[in-house]
Amino acid sequence: MSLMRVENINKVYGTRKGARKFQALKQINFEVHEGEFIGIMGPSGSGKTTLLNILGSIDRPTNGRVFLDGVDIASLKKKQLAEHRIKNIGFVFQDFNLLDTMTLKENIILPLAIHGADVHTIETRLQKLATDLGILTVLDKYPYEVSGGEQQRAAACRALITDPKIVLADEPTGNLDSRSGRALLELLAQINRTYNTTILMVTHDAFAASYCQRILFIRDGEIYHELYAREDKQQYFDAIIDVVSVVGGESK
Amino acid sequence: MKLTTLAFRNIKRNFSKYVMYFFTLTFSVFTVYSFLALLQNEVVNHAFIYRERYRSMLIGFGVVIFVFVTFFLISSNTSFIRARKKEISLYSLFGMTNRKVSKLIFLETMLVGLAALVVGILAGIFFSKLIAMILLNVTLVDFVGDITFSIHPRSIYLTILPFLGVFGLMGLSGLRVISKFELVELFKGEKVSEGKSKGSYILLFLSVLLLGCGYYFAATVDSYLIIMYSLPILISVILGTYLFFWGGLPKILHWLKKNKTKYYRGDNLIAISAFNHRVRSIASTMATIAVLSAVATTAVATGYTLYKNAEKDTYSRVGFDAYFYGSEELLDDVYQAFKNHGVEFESYTSERLVARPELRITLDDWLYYDSDNAGDYFRVYPQSVFNEIITFSRRDLKPVHIKPGEAIYALESWTNVPSLDAELKQAIMDSPFKFSNQTIRVTSFVDAQFLAFGAIQVIILNDDDFVSLHQAGDIITGKTETGPPFSKVTVFKYDNPLRSGEVARSITEILSGNADSFRVAYNTYVELLETFGLVCFIGFFMSIVFILMTASLLYFKQVMAAEEERGQYQMLRKIGMDSELEKRVITKRLLPVFLIPLIIGIIHSIFAMKSADTVVFSFMITQQNSYLVVLGLSSVMYAIYALVYGVFYFITKHQYAKVVG
Ligand SMILES: Nc1ncnc2c1ncn2[C@@H]1O[C@H](COP(=O)(O)OP(=O)(O)OP(=O)(O)O)[C@@H](O)[C@H]1O
Ligand SMILES: [Mg+2]
Repeated sequence: MSLMRVENINKVYGTRKGARKFQALKQINFEVHEGEFIGIMGPSGSGKTTLLNILGSIDRPTNGRVFLDGVDIASLKKKQLAEHRIKNIGFVFQDFNLLDTMTLKENIILPLAIHGADVHTIETRLQKLATDLGILTVLDKYPYEVSGGEQQRAAACRALITDPKIVLADEPTGNLDSRSGRALLELLAQINRTYNTTILMVTHDAFAASYCQRILFIRDGEIYHELYAREDKQQYFDAIIDVVSVVGGESK
Repeated sequence: MKLTTLAFRNIKRNFSKYVMYFFTLTFSVFTVYSFLALLQNEVVNHAFIYRERYRSMLIGFGVVIFVFVTFFLISSNTSFIRARKKEISLYSLFGMTNRKVSKLIFLETMLVGLAALVVGILAGIFFSKLIAMILLNVTLVDFVGDITFSIHPRSIYLTILPFLGVFGLMGLSGLRVISKFELVELFKGEKVSEGKSKGSYILLFLSVLLLGCGYYFAATVDSYLIIMYSLPILISVILGTYLFFWGGLPKILHWLKKNKTKYYRGDNLIAISAFNHRVRSIASTMATIAVLSAVATTAVATGYTLYKNAEKDTYSRVGFDAYFYGSEELLDDVYQAFKNHGVEFESYTSERLVARPELRITLDDWLYYDSDNAGDYFRVYPQSVFNEIITFSRRDLKPVHIKPGEAIYALESWTNVPSLDAELKQAIMDSPFKFSNQTIRVTSFVDAQFLAFGAIQVIILNDDDFVSLHQAGDIITGKTETGPPFSKVTVFKYDNPLRSGEVARSITEILSGNADSFRVAYNTYVELLETFGLVCFIGFFMSIVFILMTASLLYFKQVMAAEEERGQYQMLRKIGMDSELEKRVITKRLLPVFLIPLIIGIIHSIFAMKSADTVVFSFMITQQNSYLVVLGLSSVMYAIYALVYGVFYFITKHQYAKVVG
């Protein structure tokens, strides 16, 4: 079943008078199905973050439309948009983006608190997720008091706590060493499987991409290629490397 | 690039931070210059009768202001440098030596400081005439001279020198802060909180205890106790304030967090945790502000109350527009003086009669009155004379009616301790006044001590009793052994008494040295107004300096914080904080910073005013509940103070929203 439909998206930076125009995205079209784990790859500056921001309604496309569950995001008013962001979308950022002023627990419940959920709902959801993600013991610590992996899991927890329809992750492994990176990918895959959460992940890393069921390759703001997961993991990985070497962009 | 160019560029870039700092500094320079110029101004100097008092007050408060300005400059400079840690570390990363970095920072502060000096002094010169006029208008009853515009070079360099000294100190303290920076800290970033605090029950308890004790003693009705313990009271309140902000407030925030239904609401969660995160780094500032605003509001409120009550105070001291007792010839001279000045007047002459009943009034171990004591005697009035003479007074007294055998005792609050006063009244009523043929009892009291005219005690008798006592020789004229030839007192009532300086001066000239005793309301009024007007004037400037300093310090710290918190707001927006919620978060984040010190400062001041009322005002203000009058007048000051703080709050909020937005 189609969850998100992206139709003819264009993004031009510098639309204000006098600014130099730059087209970051050109005619992007694709669909995301419910429960999918999709990767987006491409060289630096190709427009991945731009695309993700548009999908997450943080940014608006210059033209084109994004449908989530059949609703055109562009038609939403400012207030509805904020609500939509909280209810439907979970974000995981590269630098975690946890607030240093809050404990992990407070960070995690933040979206629900903003949404105005009652204490009971908040507590029960928090307990379940924190147990599943194994950060129950560090909930009362501050971000700078815990490891990078724990921070990343807390960030994932925050993305999931509202039970979003889709999780958007921008280079979530970028700041982690390979072991923590792998752990996080396992986690995302597990979340994808157990909660049937739809995940869209931007990555530079071919290994990380190999966790995805489908990979979109972007070059110069256009979708250049699409790859589907194969039975054989090594073969899939090699195929990704092949495309990357053509598209460009570093692999670790 | 030359260092000066870099400094100029930095100032331009940090304009919004420098602008408040500049403004406050300029106003401080302006105040110091104005005070100095007033001291140098010959006309102003001559206008004051109590010149020494005037000069020492101006100098004293000038020094106080200067001390606080120094404190403000150094502390804001330090926090400014801290906030620019990243930038400074970058300079050193690119190979600038610490010396050179401090030189750059010093240059920046120096440029801003010099600009403030120039603008402040220019403003001081420009407004010097106005300031002098305001001062004379406020303090003098009928100043008629003219003040010419003048520049005082001495004041200019007396202003510049100490400020340059302070700038030097700032440079040194900046150097100290910078040399403590480690390059590593740059890479650690601002992640680690410097200001988080869990608070402490002990500190909270201690601070409440100290404040409670301070308040309790400040509010006692015993003026003697207050004066005795004024220093311990001050110390305990100030210490309590600091402890509250250091340990108590964080604990309260900690409690707030426990109430999940409230705490788990988006804006509360964000604002409280952010405030909690910073509370330690701003605690000392908030405590200092609370104390300073208490000092400032109390100073102004006291001055204002005294000033507003100068007229009432004058009449509670003098009672009449003028009175004297002395030789009879003087009376004609005084009449002549009124006529010469063309002033309409009425006068009344009464005998100063004396009674010495056999009487002992004791209160516990205090012998209040003893007829064996030569100094203890009564000034006596028959009811009819009393009812007549009070019509010449400016005091609002009602005619009395006294039954035979009874008397009214003139008692103004003596001890100022209501319970003690009540005991005293009871003791007086319980003591029979034994005269040779009859006994009289006091049945009521009236606030008319101003009728004593040289005595300490005053009673008013029934007319018939008076006549019989007089005949029996119990009431005699006030001639003492060495006494004056003229035992009568003459009181005067004339038009516009507190504005008619000419006639008051003439009367004073005639009577001084010649009359046995005299008082002219005008003279008392002039003295009160001069002193209290000056207190008001100085208090006003001091308060403005304090408000500007404290408020701009807060502004400064919040805008610095905004820079660090910008990332958080970006993130919060990403996860769905809408602009409405953002506004609420910013409000809740900033309001307590301004509101808590203000409220605590005002509470301090309310108690300080209570003490001031007990010690000073209640002797002056003859109304029943002098504290309410005092509070009414002070609340005008509190309102102004709150208003100014409100304006600063909105400016800060605007700037904060701009930075994080
Ligand atoms: N706000 C902006 N204004 C103008 N141009 C922008 C803006 N944001 C991004 N761009 C440009 O758009 C292009 C795409 O940027 P984007 O951040 O989407 O790249 P990316 O694929 O995420 O790169 P990376 O892998 O380095 O994160 C870049 O060339 C960038 O310079
Ligand atoms: Mg990117």
